[in-house]
Amino acid sequence: MGENTPFDEMYNADGSVREPYRALSEWLAEQPEKGLALMQADAEAIFRKLGITFAVYGSEEGTEKVIPFDVIPRIIAANEWRKLSRGIEQRVKALNAFLYDIYHRQEILKAGRIPEKLILNNAAFCPQMMGLEPARGVYAHIIGVDIVRVGPDEFYVLEDNLRTPSGVSYMLEDREAMMMLAPDLFQRSKVAPVETYPENLRRTLESVAPAGAGRNPVIAVLTPGIYNSAYFEHSFLADQMGAQLCEGQDLFVDGGKVYMRTTTGPERVDVIYRRIDDDYLDPLTFRPDSMLGVPGIFDAYRAGNVTLVNAPGTGIADDKAVYTYVPEIIEFYLGEKALLNNVPTYNCTDVDQRAWVLENIAELVVKEVHGSGGYGMMVGPTSTKAQHEEFRKKIIARPDNYIVQPTLSLSTCPTHINNDVAPRHVDLRPYVLVGDEVRITPGGLTRVALKKGSLVVNSSQGGGTKDTWVLED
Amino acid sequence: MRMLGRTAQNLFWLSRYVERAENMARLLEVGYRMSLTSRREGGASEHLVSMLKAAEMDEAFAERHEVADVDTVAYFMMFDPTNPSSVYSCLQAARTNARSVRTAITTDMWESMNGAWLEFSQIKPRDVRGAKLLGLLQWVRQRSHEFRGALLGTILRDDGFAFLQAGNFVERADNTARILDMKYYVLLPRSSLVGGEIDIQQWTLILRAASAHRSYGHVYHDRYKAHNIADFLILRTEMPRSLVYCAHFVRDNLNLLAKLYGRREACHDAMDDLLKLVEGTNMDQIFARGLHDFLNDFIDGNNRVTDTLSASYNFY
Amino acid sequence: MRIAIDHRLSLTLPEGTGQAVFHLLLTPPSGPTQTVESWSVEGPGIGNAGRFTDGFGNAAHLVNQLRPEGEITIHVRGEVTTRDTHGVLGRPSGEPVPALYRRFTAAAKAPEALYEPFRHSKDNRLSICHALMARVGEELGLPEEPKVPRQMQADGGQTQVQDTGEASEQRPAAADYAHLFIGAARALDIPARYVVGYRVADGEDGLHAWAEAFDEGLGWVGFDPHAQICPTDRYVRLAIGLDAETAPTLRTVPVAEVEQVAKVSAV
Repeated sequence: MGENTPFDEMYNADGSVREPYRALSEWLAEQPEKGLALMQADAEAIFRKLGITFAVYGSEEGTEKVIPFDVIPRIIAANEWRKLSRGIEQRVKALNAFLYDIYHRQEILKAGRIPEKLILNNAAFCPQMMGLEPARGVYAHIIGVDIVRVGPDEFYVLEDNLRTPSGVSYMLEDREAMMMLAPDLFQRSKVAPVETYPENLRRTLESVAPAGAGRNPVIAVLTPGIYNSAYFEHSFLADQMGAQLCEGQDLFVDGGKVYMRTTTGPERVDVIYRRIDDDYLDPLTFRPDSMLGVPGIFDAYRAGNVTLVNAPGTGIADDKAVYTYVPEIIEFYLGEKALLNNVPTYNCTDVDQRAWVLENIAELVVKEVHGSGGYGMMVGPTSTKAQHEEFRKKIIARPDNYIVQPTLSLSTCPTHINNDVAPRHVDLRPYVLVGDEVRITPGGLTRVALKKGSLVVNSSQGGGTKDTWVLED
Repeated sequence: MRMLGRTAQNLFWLSRYVERAENMARLLEVGYRMSLTSRREGGASEHLVSMLKAAEMDEAFAERHEVADVDTVAYFMMFDPTNPSSVYSCLQAARTNARSVRTAITTDMWESMNGAWLEFSQIKPRDVRGAKLLGLLQWVRQRSHEFRGALLGTILRDDGFAFLQAGNFVERADNTARILDMKYYVLLPRSSLVGGEIDIQQWTLILRAASAHRSYGHVYHDRYKAHNIADFLILRTEMPRSLVYCAHFVRDNLNLLAKLYGRREACHDAMDDLLKLVEGTNMDQIFARGLHDFLNDFIDGNNRVTDTLSASYNFY
Repeated sequence: MRIAIDHRLSLTLPEGTGQAVFHLLLTPPSGPTQTVESWSVEGPGIGNAGRFTDGFGNAAHLVNQLRPEGEITIHVRGEVTTRDTHGVLGRPSGEPVPALYRRFTAAAKAPEALYEPFRHSKDNRLSICHALMARVGEELGLPEEPKVPRQMQADGGQTQVQDTGEASEQRPAAADYAHLFIGAARALDIPARYVVGYRVADGEDGLHAWAEAFDEGLGWVGFDPHAQICPTDRYVRLAIGLDAETAPTLRTVPVAEVEQVAKVSAV
């Protein structure tokens, strides 16, 4: 960590090509001048026409943008992926066990392995979930784990997104686009498919249907509506799964069960993949002013008549303050050592740690505990002195509101920039499904910081995406 | 998979708004041509105002503009986001509806709709004058055709298709009735001119608004006569914008719904009532009764079809 | 003691309500302090209601009404045999871990001055709770001479329920007393929870609210800071929660105007 030259996934330090990138390297060398630029233009047209857009909060002109797509894929070797996916599976199993425990007997708190107050007084903890028995004991069914790589064999988990992780549609569309743009490159490599995701998602959702549901449970995707930044993804996933895309107004409860309003009357719904945050899910139980949710849906869930995916209250397990304890959580529930590293995290409420943080802030990353999407965060080495000072003040004012981590030197991948190929920093979000079994789609979404030297990969902050290839043996 | 009531509603209105955008363009084109060729004093303004009246937009227009000239009327009907029937508002509403039912329409339909909106929303009103205005009006028509082509060529013939088609033809019937009614507004003050040169010229433009000025000749082999033209736009089953044709089309699609869902609803009765107006009658009877009253009854009946359809299939 | 309860809730929904949804906590549990002999909840939609146990272990109803018209009445009736345990409830099964009730909530808060004197007390938990109960009584005044608590006024919105001696309000007047007690207990790391129920009391029969605090030895023990006693066999427990907001007898969407009258009498 923290070395000056970041690890490049394509080239060794001596300039030779790493094995997984051999075919790509040859292919790149064969491309005619402007070949990549033409491909890039084609890609943009494909995405815009398909309406693959996301909304940028706070941007004034048109609310919709096409997320930049880089035409050079990111490649992960089979053995690298095996190791990664084992670590991911371990993590999601432990976190689900943790959620079950927290909402039942709270053994881990009794054992003193995690401070009780950190959980019980956390805004993300949902007391209404106490004692509920979710189907198959699963709370977080759909997870996107943010991972960064800093060396040939060194991966760190940045965040476990257990609420309503987004971006999986980009993973699928990136692959679709890449296959249209460079079929010849696919022919030279054995790339593990990602197209199975919608089918696996459907199977996962069906596997957690309530006991009373029939052999073909009715699945609905619940979206906040067309003005939500991820609306495209909601409709895309519903379409791919053959499930109904619903807004709150399309659903209602009757006799403790949930129904859709159809042209021919009410139809019972068994599983709801909801992309509405906990707070807005049900005005009867959560925020009473919510217009997006379905009144009574949570009670119907408690009554065992419908399954909500993910369960409310999963946010307690991906809280930035709880994150520090994930290795502890893995040990407590699985009796195993964590296979994937956590990023060391400094606790600003500790006087000594805070003093050290304030001293070294120029080298560190500061994140708001409840921030997301790259907002409310500062990357020390790429920020100005004034920004350092601003965050020092913020930390002093509210030490519990921030976590601080060392600046990781994210790996770089070759990226098409201004008709040239240059290294840019990347991260990785593999998508995990947990139901009757754990299903991890090979690869995931690679986000790339298109600005030279930048470590912020969020699409809202000038990041793009890449197709991610896991090679098969 | 059963269809959400909201999806049915979005499909119905998606088609209606595309058709309405096209009709706004047609109407404006007629108003524009009338104003160019008018030989009467103050004629240009008068034609434009009567056109606005026919579209029931005269009051909304008067709230925003003092003078009705080509520029103000063109802006109001094409670009004004505060006018819910402007081409801009229609395309935006159509696209919003399409986005809400993205999974219920085909990729071709979506691309056509999304492309039309993206292009139109880039246009700056001040760049569109004179010949450019006519070009843009044609463009709007063509995009509407393209959307309909994508629809007919790609979508499953299921309930979604029926709602889309019903919306399209309910709107078209409404529009044809209103274009005919425009003639009533234009002529009302000067009924002495019936049969004169101006009268013929106005009828011509009305035919043009329905893209029917050439097909008229094929059907009637005669010069323009008010009787024939009204007959053409109201009662001829081979004329794809006539009231009777639209009504039959809507009926067929409502029947498709009844077949798919296995039962008739209140909207089927409302449809029967509407059909009674245009079937088993002729132009002499309609003129004797008064064209304006007839058209008003038709528009009301047509609205009842929408209202009952909305209730029957759980629009909300 | 055998207690008969006749509780009516009348609600008026905003005009033009398309669909109304109700969450009811109107079914008392049987337990160490009480046995429910008979109980009925009647009203439109109840027969078709969803029944379930909520996160606090309460028996709940989910009721819905399509296009409700006029005033809706929910009629709750039943008889409960109660036992005087000096407030001790123990550890009923099917309840969440007591630690849950150390969670702070916005509604149940106490000023530091109220609990600070007990922070380093060497007394046992029960004694501290009794002393806290007395302190809450001093802070808010005795029920006969209610005064508006200053601290709560500053918090805003907390004074809407005045003690009128009648239990006709949506939230019993005693809720403020319970909240203050609960907030103080939690600040001292003692799990404490809100209880809504019925009470037989001279001239004050009806809906009531009090608190329960957790003692490692005895389990849950009731404290009624409003009456300054531990609950007796004149109390019927109806529902529990973190505070009044999480244990409403009735919650509706859309928000309705609710009037409720509970007749409670010994038989």
